[in-house]
Amino acid sequence: MKNLKRSLCLALCLILALACIPAMADGNVKIGVLVSDATSSEALAFRAYYTEYIAKAYGVEFIYSDELTDAAGEKSAIDNFIVNNCKAVISFSSFDRPAQIDQCDAAGIYNAVATGTLTDEQYDEYKDYEYYVGAIGPSMDIEFQAGYDMAAYYIDQGMTKFGMFGGGVPYYVDMHIYRAAGMLTAMVEKGGEGANYKGADNAGAIIGQIYADGGIDTGAIGNLELAAYVGGYDFNDAWFGKLSQMVGTEGIQAILTVGSGVDVLGGFISGSGVKLATVDSFTPAMQEAMDNGILDYMAGKFAASIGPIFAATLNAVNGQPIRDSEGNALALGQGYWVATSSEQFAQYCAVDSSMTDPAYTKEILDQYASSEVSYDDFVDFVSQYSFDEIVSLKK
Amino acid sequence: MGKQTIRERIPAFASILGLLALIAAYYIVGLIRDANVAYGLKAVVNQSVVVALVATGAVFIYTLGSFDISLGAATGVSALLGAMAYNATGSLPVMFLVCIGVAVAIGFINSSLASVFNLPIFVTTVAMMSVLSAFMLILIGWNGAGDTIKVKARDVRPLDNIPFKVAVLAAYIALCWFVFTLLPTGREAKFIGGNPVCAKLSGIDEKKLAIIASLISAIGIGLGAFLTIVYAPTLNKDTASSIGMDVIIAIVFGGMPVSGGPRSRILSAVVGAFSMGFLSQIMSMLNLGSGYGQMIKAAIFLLVVFIALGSQRGKLLTR
Repeated sequence: MKNLKRSLCLALCLILALACIPAMADGNVKIGVLVSDATSSEALAFRAYYTEYIAKAYGVEFIYSDELTDAAGEKSAIDNFIVNNCKAVISFSSFDRPAQIDQCDAAGIYNAVATGTLTDEQYDEYKDYEYYVGAIGPSMDIEFQAGYDMAAYYIDQGMTKFGMFGGGVPYYVDMHIYRAAGMLTAMVEKGGEGANYKGADNAGAIIGQIYADGGIDTGAIGNLELAAYVGGYDFNDAWFGKLSQMVGTEGIQAILTVGSGVDVLGGFISGSGVKLATVDSFTPAMQEAMDNGILDYMAGKFAASIGPIFAATLNAVNGQPIRDSEGNALALGQGYWVATSSEQFAQYCAVDSSMTDPAYTKEILDQYASSEVSYDDFVDFVSQYSFDEIVSLKK
Repeated sequence: MGKQTIRERIPAFASILGLLALIAAYYIVGLIRDANVAYGLKAVVNQSVVVALVATGAVFIYTLGSFDISLGAATGVSALLGAMAYNATGSLPVMFLVCIGVAVAIGFINSSLASVFNLPIFVTTVAMMSVLSAFMLILIGWNGAGDTIKVKARDVRPLDNIPFKVAVLAAYIALCWFVFTLLPTGREAKFIGGNPVCAKLSGIDEKKLAIIASLISAIGIGLGAFLTIVYAPTLNKDTASSIGMDVIIAIVFGGMPVSGGPRSRILSAVVGAFSMGFLSQIMSMLNLGSGYGQMIKAAIFLLVVFIALGSQRGKLLTR
């Protein structure tokens, strides 16, 4: 028994010592990364782009937080980044963005928002903070448009009966509510005269209605019909039963999902003839779903979409933050790539999953991670986010 | 009882020695990694104080040989209602009292249900955890402002400092130590945890003690909820959700058996909570990635508990 104890102690010391060796060797700029999702295919793709491509290309060290679930976790993680002498924090977590910016500003480290934006009120308050780099990602308007385009795609094909998966709507997840509102707004606008959702006939009213209800009601919307709805992420038998029932709803033609469509509905969709549309990322698993006819439409963030916010952050760390003519931080929208066929998806996926030639390569980013870059040049660069535009940037 | 050798005494102090070893490791790793060690100490206190408060109170319940799985949810509900009370009144004392009051009410319901239906507290807390988790969602829905309930950060910032938090923790530890050590309550609780049949035959009222333990624990939950708002005043459905598991780990890490009984100690919770805090900081400084970090944490946890429980192996009536 004594030997076992000694062995355990020795093993532990050895592990800690070995762990210190790579730590002692580096002298890179450290950047903390806040994540509230560490396991989805989208999150893994983002992480791979930073840790396997950007870190090597630029000689920076990314320190990732654990998977965060609340604002207290964000604050603790930023504390840990400060302890580690990180020069900046790139945040994928949105429980309390103002608190993140305040905390970083007080500590004198830069803060940047990836794959999201601040609200207008928040931006007005923080745009001139010295250590706030800015935000690049889908704004709520872009989220709304993603939902709208998805629904319009099927309505324009003549489909009339839909199902909807609301994901985080019952938990008041803003981006899911806006995507769902976009879908309903498309139905209202294309549902014929007098079409409305619970009396709401415009985007603002529909968004307000969803926030008031914390859910979405089924029923006729003009000459269209939302025949089934499931929300939440209960992952119990009853919840899976509802999903199965939704797919089996008589006459249903397409199921519009605010996210995670393949993960939660893929098993039921196969062979049903119902079209599945979702917002996700360009991963091999989604490619397989598209090839097998399970997934029909996907609006996806591409992994390298977080390249520009890294370039902006690096500029700030190097003492040349990108600011507009009034000295305000960045607030730039960046949308999705939309694939509606297996071939198109394969083309996007090949670029997106490459760790040697990703969508935004070092050669492209170098033009903008530089003291020479102007605010207008950077805005122009970020606005060219479609697949074809990025391919043309590479030429 | 012969005189104990130093080697025999080591297991009894393993948790404290473990904490000291972790503090030493923290400084060494911090030096190697050129980390901001002073700031890290503040971070350890900030990250450990809520767990330490809730775990210190929970020692009373664990001492009885019982188990409360609803601690996290109770802290979350208390914090949400405290924040809503503040938003309605603008008064920090009201927020404080609501946090404490709600936690005490939840503790009273837990222990009363256990008494009325003659159920173990553990069973009622399982049911209560589900109810409270659902109630958190309802509260957020009632609040009608998205998926969070917020208190303005600048309103609570004056309290978000280390001296205040340490003072709250010290006062609560003093209260618990007084009740646990100097009043019959502590001895009776240890007796029940060690041998419930003998305790009952000796005339100790288990139900009364269960209610007292729940109420004392509830004060810790209320204080934890208050400091949760002070630290991060944006609350959501997952606020304090990890506290239940953190408390169990802290108590075991602190060298107290989860089966309760005579080896229960108030300070175990504090030692365990701060050990976890330093361990987390070390893992963060090493930037091993959460996977490797978790594995090493688990190895250290097993090691400390293995040594701490060493003195009990092979003994009769180990509780």
